[in-house]
Amino acid sequence: MMTWSVVGPAVSTAFLASLVEVVEAFTIVLAVATLRGWRPAAIGTAGALALLAALVLLLGPLLGQIPIAWLQLAIGVLLLLFGLGWLRKASLRAAGVIPLHDEEAIFAAETARLDAGRPLRRRSLQWAAGITALKAVILEGLEVVFIVIAVGAGRGLLLPASLGALAACTLVLAIGVLLHRPLSRVPENSLKFGVGVMLSAFGVFWTGEGLGIAWPGQDLALLWFAALFLATGLAGASLARKRSIEFA
Amino acid sequence: MAMLKELAGELIGMFVGEVRLTVSVLATVAAVGLLVRVSGLDPLLGGVALLLSCLALLVDSVLRGARPRGSK
Repeated sequence: MMTWSVVGPAVSTAFLASLVEVVEAFTIVLAVATLRGWRPAAIGTAGALALLAALVLLLGPLLGQIPIAWLQLAIGVLLLLFGLGWLRKASLRAAGVIPLHDEEAIFAAETARLDAGRPLRRRSLQWAAGITALKAVILEGLEVVFIVIAVGAGRGLLLPASLGALAACTLVLAIGVLLHRPLSRVPENSLKFGVGVMLSAFGVFWTGEGLGIAWPGQDLALLWFAALFLATGLAGASLARKRSIEFA
Repeated sequence: MAMLKELAGELIGMFVGEVRLTVSVLATVAAVGLLVRVSGLDPLLGGVALLLSCLALLVDSVLRGARPRGSK
């Protein structure tokens, strides 16, 4: 039976991770729409979503063919690599060692890049704009697809995880259409920190299960792992801040 | 073609953000797997080792990231 302790972490991780990625993709799509109109932006986005949906439809049935222990181990290791990478970057950003992600600056840079193509013919410009939107949505969407599959596949939670991701897409699109400017107020690094914590916790959990480790408390162990990764990430950020001041 | 290259780069970058962290995590999982599956270590002890190693690798990687390039 699906309980909240099983479904909750998967859905919330898929939702928060997708929120971060969709905000980043939306910034580029908005830059395209602002400079070249909504048509190439919408066509590029729709094309990317169709490609991503095809990828999920292709991978979904294949995952069912893999023995569950191998699937858990493979997904667990990939989640560990992905999650620890996010957590590392978020800790360094929180420590002020690397700059925060700035959606306004990315929007301005992308707009300037698209504007540099003015001497081209109008049709070429529309085509380039559509490709820019397509690329942005595919690149960010790939991460969403991976996260949804990774947190959902091991326990048959693909549908709830997909719904979490879909809810994030709907939320960002709704707010974005209303505001019509980059969503720079989203606390992106805090979200990335949280998602890195959850992905790392899932990574240890699935890797352990794949190796035949029966975690005490079963799914509830995820929450303990998350608490430990959160505390370690925060401690790492604090130590990194001190160290960067020492070296300054 | 350029887009496919960029996609491949993005896919690799998703999992290999920092080479040393990636290699260390893979080595840790392999070592724990061998200890549990081959050497007969209590799986729970293996799990604790996996968790603590990942936490230690995270702190080490963050601290190395805070060091200016070129310093030891």
